[in-house]
Amino acid sequence: MRRCLKCSAKSVVYLPQHRLALCKEHYLEWYLKRVEDTIKEFRMFDRTNRVLVAVSGGKDSLSLWDALLSLGYKMDGLYINLGIGHYSELSRKVCEEFAKSKKAVLHTVELEKDMASIPSLKEMEKRPVCSLCGQIKRYYLNRYARELGYEVIATGHNLDDETATLFSNTLSWQLEYLKRQYPVLSEGNGFVRKVKPLFKMSEKENALYAFLRGINFVEEECPFAEGASSVEYKRLLSQIEEKSPGTKLRFYTEFIRRVHPILKQEGGVPIGACSVCGEPTTSDVCSVCRLKARLSLGSSSSSPSS
Amino acid sequence: MKVRVLYRGQTKELEFEKDRVSAGEILRALHLSKEYAFVVKDDEVLDDKDHIKDGEEVRVINAISGG
Repeated sequence: MRRCLKCSAKSVVYLPQHRLALCKEHYLEWYLKRVEDTIKEFRMFDRTNRVLVAVSGGKDSLSLWDALLSLGYKMDGLYINLGIGHYSELSRKVCEEFAKSKKAVLHTVELEKDMASIPSLKEMEKRPVCSLCGQIKRYYLNRYARELGYEVIATGHNLDDETATLFSNTLSWQLEYLKRQYPVLSEGNGFVRKVKPLFKMSEKENALYAFLRGINFVEEECPFAEGASSVEYKRLLSQIEEKSPGTKLRFYTEFIRRVHPILKQEGGVPIGACSVCGEPTTSDVCSVCRLKARLSLGSSSSSPSS
Repeated sequence: MKVRVLYRGQTKELEFEKDRVSAGEILRALHLSKEYAFVVKDDEVLDDKDHIKDGEEVRVINAISGG
């Protein structure tokens, strides 16, 4: 039986990459300190900023919201109802219950009312649905954060998300994507600052935090994520991690320390404002407005409810 | 022996040809790794080597999510 490194009680968590065994109390303490240290190290935000956290009902985003509230940050949530049947209904309920229990503000965007649900959009798009869904979520997050006056958007991206994306982008040397892969994306050109305070935490560390804090989160997988390449990459990387603990953290942190500064020197693609909705884009009309035009819905829009 | 497993909102019954199994064996039976999944019994996170007896109920949390 392993004992907690801090107090010698029976440990409930063992983290091989840190060679660390901890009891419940000291794991939660370690987790919060690691999140706080990450926020400070990358100057993500401080306690004076209005921050909007993107919540899906999963373990990552709810752990993030819970941790940031516990650390005393001003945090409201935004839930985007993607209209994916039972999965979305359950996700919405879980987010609403969490917000109520914390007496926190939760804004909700109804994708179906504003344009169309993900299942409907999937029918008219050839590209993978996860890529389409990701783009739509980024669009609405930025737009509503701007409209509602938030200075920072925080997302629950974890170490496994980041390493799977880095692995995928490296396999095909997607330099433009690699340039944008960083825990903080600055504000400007119509973008609200975006931060990923959990980028050093693995999915399991987030799931353990959520479980030990008694957070009710959606365990079911999105029905469209089955067979997604990101899951395959995560499984592959976990096999390497099992043999060589610490590989994922080193892969990502060394990328941002050694490679990202070189890529950044090149500069990016010029950004303008969409002539229809005003959101940032590299073309005249942004991809979401182009999708809306195809749906013959024009640029009509609704406001988020809270 | 039989173990009832609550996994991603569904209950499964796993059958093993022995009297007790470890948490690690439960994960392997579900094709999961301790790298990203863990077993919970009576609200306690189990260590890989902790045992589960015939008729007991556990919850398995798989942290991998896609998309």
